[in-house]
Amino acid sequence: MQTQPVVAVDNVTKTYGKANEKQYQALKGVTFDVQPGEFVGIMGASGSGKTTLLNILSTLDRPTSGHVAINGQDVTKLRGNRLSDFRAKQVGFIFQDFNLLENLTARENIALPMALQNAGAKAQQAAVDKVAATLGIAGVLDHYPTELSGGQKQRVAAARALMQEPAILFGDEPTGALDSQSARDLLDTMQHLNQEQGVSILLVTHDPFSASYASRILFIKDGQVGTELRHAGKSQEAFYQEILNTLGTFQK
Amino acid sequence: MLRKLALGGIRARFRDYAVLFSGLVIASAVFYMFMTMATNKAFLASNSPISATPVIFGFGTVLLVIITTVYIVYANTFLMSMRQRDYAMFMMLGAKSGKIAQLIFLETVAVGLGAAAVGVVVGTGLTAVAGSIFLGMLHAPATHFAVLWLPAVIATFAFFLAMFVIAAFVNAARLLKTPVLNLLHATTLPNRIQQKRWVLALQAVLAVVLLAIGYWIMGKLMNFGVPAIGIALVTIVLGTYFLFNALLVWAIGLLRRNRRFAARGLHTFTLGQLSFRLRDYTKILAVVAMLFALALGAITVGLGFKDAIPEMAKQQGKYDLVLMAPNASAKQSAAKLTGVAKKVTYRERVVGKTVYLNAAELDAKRLDLVLYRGPGKVVEQAVTGQNFAKYQDEGYSQLQAFKLPGEESFKVVSEAAFAKLSGSTRTAVAYQLKDIGANYDRIDALLTAQNKRYKIESADQSGQKFVTYALINSMFGGLAFMGFFLGLAFLAMLASTLMFKILSGASFDAARYLMLQKIGVRQGLLRKSVRQEIGALFAFPAGLGMVHVLFGLQMFNGLLQHPYQGLLLPFGIFLVLYAVYYGLTVWLYESIVIKKDLAA
Repeated sequence: MQTQPVVAVDNVTKTYGKANEKQYQALKGVTFDVQPGEFVGIMGASGSGKTTLLNILSTLDRPTSGHVAINGQDVTKLRGNRLSDFRAKQVGFIFQDFNLLENLTARENIALPMALQNAGAKAQQAAVDKVAATLGIAGVLDHYPTELSGGQKQRVAAARALMQEPAILFGDEPTGALDSQSARDLLDTMQHLNQEQGVSILLVTHDPFSASYASRILFIKDGQVGTELRHAGKSQEAFYQEILNTLGTFQK
Repeated sequence: MLRKLALGGIRARFRDYAVLFSGLVIASAVFYMFMTMATNKAFLASNSPISATPVIFGFGTVLLVIITTVYIVYANTFLMSMRQRDYAMFMMLGAKSGKIAQLIFLETVAVGLGAAAVGVVVGTGLTAVAGSIFLGMLHAPATHFAVLWLPAVIATFAFFLAMFVIAAFVNAARLLKTPVLNLLHATTLPNRIQQKRWVLALQAVLAVVLLAIGYWIMGKLMNFGVPAIGIALVTIVLGTYFLFNALLVWAIGLLRRNRRFAARGLHTFTLGQLSFRLRDYTKILAVVAMLFALALGAITVGLGFKDAIPEMAKQQGKYDLVLMAPNASAKQSAAKLTGVAKKVTYRERVVGKTVYLNAAELDAKRLDLVLYRGPGKVVEQAVTGQNFAKYQDEGYSQLQAFKLPGEESFKVVSEAAFAKLSGSTRTAVAYQLKDIGANYDRIDALLTAQNKRYKIESADQSGQKFVTYALINSMFGGLAFMGFFLGLAFLAMLASTLMFKILSGASFDAARYLMLQKIGVRQGLLRKSVRQEIGALFAFPAGLGMVHVLFGLQMFNGLLQHPYQGLLLPFGIFLVLYAVYYGLTVWLYESIVIKKDLAA
């Protein structure tokens, strides 16, 4: 018996603009699955529709037609508080620009999702300390975001995303604002989370190096999924080279 | 080109500029409204029985200048925060610093002058509307009250121009000193609370001491005279500022450290937002507390003076109007008196210089007199046929209204004897009204006609309570008018200050709320956080402002018999207005920060 996919995208389309205005179709029927424990990369050029796709997957936006199921739940049918709660419990986010609350310390930022569930103060602290140790930010928990480096901020954001043990972690160009060493560290951490703790990850990026950490890559072009690459035991160098080659032909 | 760039910036951020500009317009309108009184010596002299009134208005001017300065400095910082990125961009594109300085100068002064000009127009309109409403309500003579008052126009323009020219120089100097890169990334500043513990403690002690001095000296106005007001002004303004600075920073810090409280729901976020604000908010909160106290105080005292008028008049007699043998037109007019609590008709017969009354009639319809029993103490006495003679002398001045010039005394006789008296019967119709003020114009007309008809030439001859009422009204009506007028002006300024401060930060807050929505915080919870946060910012100054008023009312001990009486009404009205205003601010703020479309 095949396990239930953690993300199931079924023929999703998205059209911008009202019926009587000039319309633009950003997604033209996208279908794919993410299996539990997978690390999937989504690549595409600017304007290919990858941000639209991520917004729909992460329930921030609704598709014009088609369905998205996360952990078996059709998220396109959720509204209001149920949608908020679903987002809080099932989905983790890491954004390119960190999206940390600059009026809270790193510790408070990380604890926020648990505080929202009214977990006890002690349980929150314990959970924060545990996840901070995993991500190597235990030393900076009492700093404000403005006092942290880009890499530290992104780790804090990742820690916050992982607090609720979400079904899936979405990354939107998480290395986009980091220097190469911090980017490498963050990707190593994500790979570690994926391989050791079985966290399912969906990473949207246009950076081939980031993508080479994924186990499977979907290329998206003009609103449709084109080529698909699998890591499948190749060395990371080889996979990286393969991505570059694919990009070279794919963009044409 | 420069002008195009400067104006282009305004178009790009219309909402922020609208908040900024409307705030400054209200500030200058209120400044103008205050100045129409403060610079009008003739008005002050003719409307206040207190000789020190101009000096008191002088202190008021100082206070208003301080308040408006804080407001303008804040508005200016807001203006710069909106513009500095653009300026930095121009510099990056190669604009010379001289050009940039010129641009800043042009823009800052234009905003200031524009605000002053529109403010004077708005202020004139508000003065006209509020003036006519209150004057009609109070029947206050308010002589020399001018809606368009040139010295006030000049003062407003001079003050705003001076402030904005200084602001322009400061802006230019500060901007040109800051590296371009910092300007480009100025929106994310570190916000650790920098103040040392002992500084906070010192401020807390200072705050308590200063407020205690201020509160104490307001009660000793009799001993210290006018300088007491000056001392109270300085100590209370400083005390308020220190109190907010020390106490609130400390209290919020304490709540944040209380993990059990802070770790629930959005509490950390709400507290974070508050402490984020409190540091740059303390000055504004102090100003709001002062404005709250001034507005509430002015309205309370205005209402106190208004209520004192009938209160004092009540000691002069029970009957608000006595009509002697009213003719048809007088009867017709008197029928339209409103709120008649009692109407009695007595028959009188005049023989020689004596007015005869019927004992049986007096027994049936007792005549109410007010008897003086020492300062501020009166008793009421219902007079019958039997004891009329006993109280006749004591009630002499009140009974005056029941006779006409030339008649000397009263005599009560039995019904039989009354019937036998020669001469025709005339009636004296006496009215007790619920509210003389509401019937002011009608009574005035009736008495003028009656005085003319019977050649009554002096207040002594008339004996009517209304004469005293009008006299007290002319003394206190002017003060009540000032109270209401200034109360309204300060209320407008209070509203605009708080709203300005809260809305000017909304664009920056919007990003934070969007983030929270993205990580799955329910909208209801966000709205609750907004209500709590803004609620705290409204509640702190309101609480302190009310304490200020409660102590400040001591200053009116000499003027008002009961300055602390009937506080429920002004406080109630004021708090209702404040609550409505809170709701409006929350609604506006939520509409900016809580987004429907999360993908944007």
